Amino acid sequence: MKVIEIKEVYKIYNETEIEVHAVNGVTLDFQEAEFATIVGPSGSGKTTLLNLLGGLDLPTSGQILIDGVDLSKLKSSALIDFRMKNIGFVFQAYNLIPVLTAKENVEFIMSLQKWIKKERDQRTFELLKSVGLSERANSRPAKMSGGQQQRIAVARALASRPKFVLADEPTANLDSKSATTLLEIMGKLNHEEKITFIFSTHDPRVVKMAHRVITLEDGKVVSDEVRE
Amino acid sequence: MKDFQLAWRNIWRNKRRTLITAASVFFAIFFALVMRSFQLGAYDRLFKNVIESYSGYLQLQHKDYSDEPVLDNSFVVDQYMLEQLKKDPNVRSVVPRLESFALAAAGSRTQGTIVMGIDPERENEVSDIIKRLVKFKLSPEVNEALKKEPIPDRTKKLIDVIGSESYASIGRMMLDLGISLEDTSSVLPIFRRQASFSNYYFNNTDTQCVIIGDGLSDYLKISVGDTLVLMGQGYHGTTAAGKYVVKGIVKLPTPDIDNIIVYIPINSARELYAAPGMATSAVFSLKSNSDKDVLLTAGRLKQIVSDPLVLKPWRELNALLVNQMEADSRSGMIMIGILYLVIAFGVFGTVLMMMAERRREFGMLISIGMQKRKLAKVVSLEILLLGFVGIIAGVIASLPVVIYGNIHPIRFTGEMARMYEDYGFEPVMPTLLPGIFYLWQIIVVLIILVIAITFSVRKIFRIKVISALRA
Ligand SMILES: Nc1ncnc2c1ncn2[C@@H]1O[C@H](COP(=O)(O)OP(=O)(O)OP(=O)(O)O)[C@@H](O)[C@H]1O
Ligand SMILES: [Mg+2]
Repeated sequence: MKVIEIKEVYKIYNETEIEVHAVNGVTLDFQEAEFATIVGPSGSGKTTLLNLLGGLDLPTSGQILIDGVDLSKLKSSALIDFRMKNIGFVFQAYNLIPVLTAKENVEFIMSLQKWIKKERDQRTFELLKSVGLSERANSRPAKMSGGQQQRIAVARALASRPKFVLADEPTANLDSKSATTLLEIMGKLNHEEKITFIFSTHDPRVVKMAHRVITLEDGKVVSDEVRE
Repeated sequence: MKDFQLAWRNIWRNKRRTLITAASVFFAIFFALVMRSFQLGAYDRLFKNVIESYSGYLQLQHKDYSDEPVLDNSFVVDQYMLEQLKKDPNVRSVVPRLESFALAAAGSRTQGTIVMGIDPERENEVSDIIKRLVKFKLSPEVNEALKKEPIPDRTKKLIDVIGSESYASIGRMMLDLGISLEDTSSVLPIFRRQASFSNYYFNNTDTQCVIIGDGLSDYLKISVGDTLVLMGQGYHGTTAAGKYVVKGIVKLPTPDIDNIIVYIPINSARELYAAPGMATSAVFSLKSNSDKDVLLTAGRLKQIVSDPLVLKPWRELNALLVNQMEADSRSGMIMIGILYLVIAFGVFGTVLMMMAERRREFGMLISIGMQKRKLAKVVSLEILLLGFVGIIAGVIASLPVVIYGNIHPIRFTGEMARMYEDYGFEPVMPTLLPGIFYLWQIIVVLIILVIAITFSVRKIFRIKVISALRA
């Protein structure tokens, strides 16, 4: 089942005199439970494409449909709600709310969605266990390592069972061991929860773990290979 | 997670900054409250003194009397109306006065005077002439006698400097003679023996006698028991003349009045001026003198009082003083205003920094699905909490100071004390206990907070997620 359809999408920045075609005519589909990575040289448009997929930015032309909903048709507050319900985000850094504990961070979106406490607690417990940080439930982000923080961010992104999770270079600030651990956890959760993951990376070891590798160059898809 | 909880934790993220900001609000509130309490307390005391020593809280007058205070603008005291006025629950009594001018002559000297006809008994309910009677008099002979007594050397020197002087209050005399409060009790009997001055207030049945100002008695060279002649114009141009015995001498604070004042029983005044049963004003003695009760009473009494009579509350009777006080109050408020301006910049600086630092976090929160509305609510709560910590601490800290200042008022010394004693007031300045003025200070800080909130809320609604995330 198609979760995301990208049709002839362009994103042109013309803040300066020279137009930048950050995304230059991309057409792509993502299926349920995919574990896909977007790679390409710096400036090739990975971040721009992920932002468009997440409804954080709107395309200059073309359509992005998520479960059939055209993101550019949503008003800004409806778009925020749409993100809350359907999309999980993992950023490169500063993912977590510094004044909340690991547990409270994981719970945050469920609270926004007004889950009842019992279900929230259960889901949080289950996810903290999955990312291997049950014992850090009451720690604040500042007390955790970068890798641990990213694992909590993954748990939060998945908490409310979104349709897919976007992660822009989630391992960029991690050492290779932490990066591998994070990817293993992401892969495991992708498998268990049947939630699509789309992440960008520069790290070849991370690329190896993806099931589908999409390569961008100058805003265009130059290759799209599915492994296994 | 409750918004409030989130906000509370957020303000303690940067403990030092929060404490500095809250402390600045605290000090502003604290100083403003304490300063205002002293200032308003001083006005309160001043007005009480002035009103209770002369004008009274409410007067009945002919409508033209305030513009043209002459005998022809007097009125006949209507006994029936008086009875009606006295039926008001807040009215204790109504005390008539008949005031006019006359030429006073004694021996070879004459002086233009104010003649104040007063009800000997009831006047004491609304003013304190009786307290102004001269109790001690220093003169070269008295001073010589005093110098032989065991009094401090310093006082002996001061006596020579002062020469001749009259005192209506012990406190004032002790200040002039450099005698401390502690020494007063030991020295006082000596002064009682050597420098006492005997004179009297009116009896109920007194006629043909007067009490005059100390300055006037000096000028006319007359004292208790001497005779003085009053000549002038009576009601509607009749001739007024009479001969009176001086019964008492009062020392009034304002030399301008002390030099020309003649008190006379009102019935004698009516006779002198051929104005039977008339008065130029009637002072109400009220049970409750609070601003609110005075106005309410005036409102009720309006039904009874008819043209050409009007009711004048103390603010109108003391318009000059009220103006002066308001000007002084404004200068105090300007000072507080500047203080608040500084605080406003402090609060703004903090809010500005906080917004800048957390741009990225705000971008993240909006990305993951937090509505800007909710985010704005959390940030507003943070600013309010920051302010409230300061406000509450400031209010609490001010209470002991203000309450202590009310129970143990500041006691003036030096010139200030002399001035107060001259006016017959105790030279103290109590604070005003918390009231509406507390509310005002809090409202001002709230306004500052609301401006800061408006600013940050607008900023939040303008955030572009993409650029915030890149920040
Ligand atoms: N807001 C913007 N205004 C102007 N140009 C932009 C903007 N955002 C991105 N670009 C340009 O668009 C192109 C694609 O940028 P993008 O950040 O998507 O690349 P990327 O593949 O994520 O690179 P990296 O690997 O370095 O993160 C770049 O040339 C960049 O300079
Ligand atoms: Mg990028």
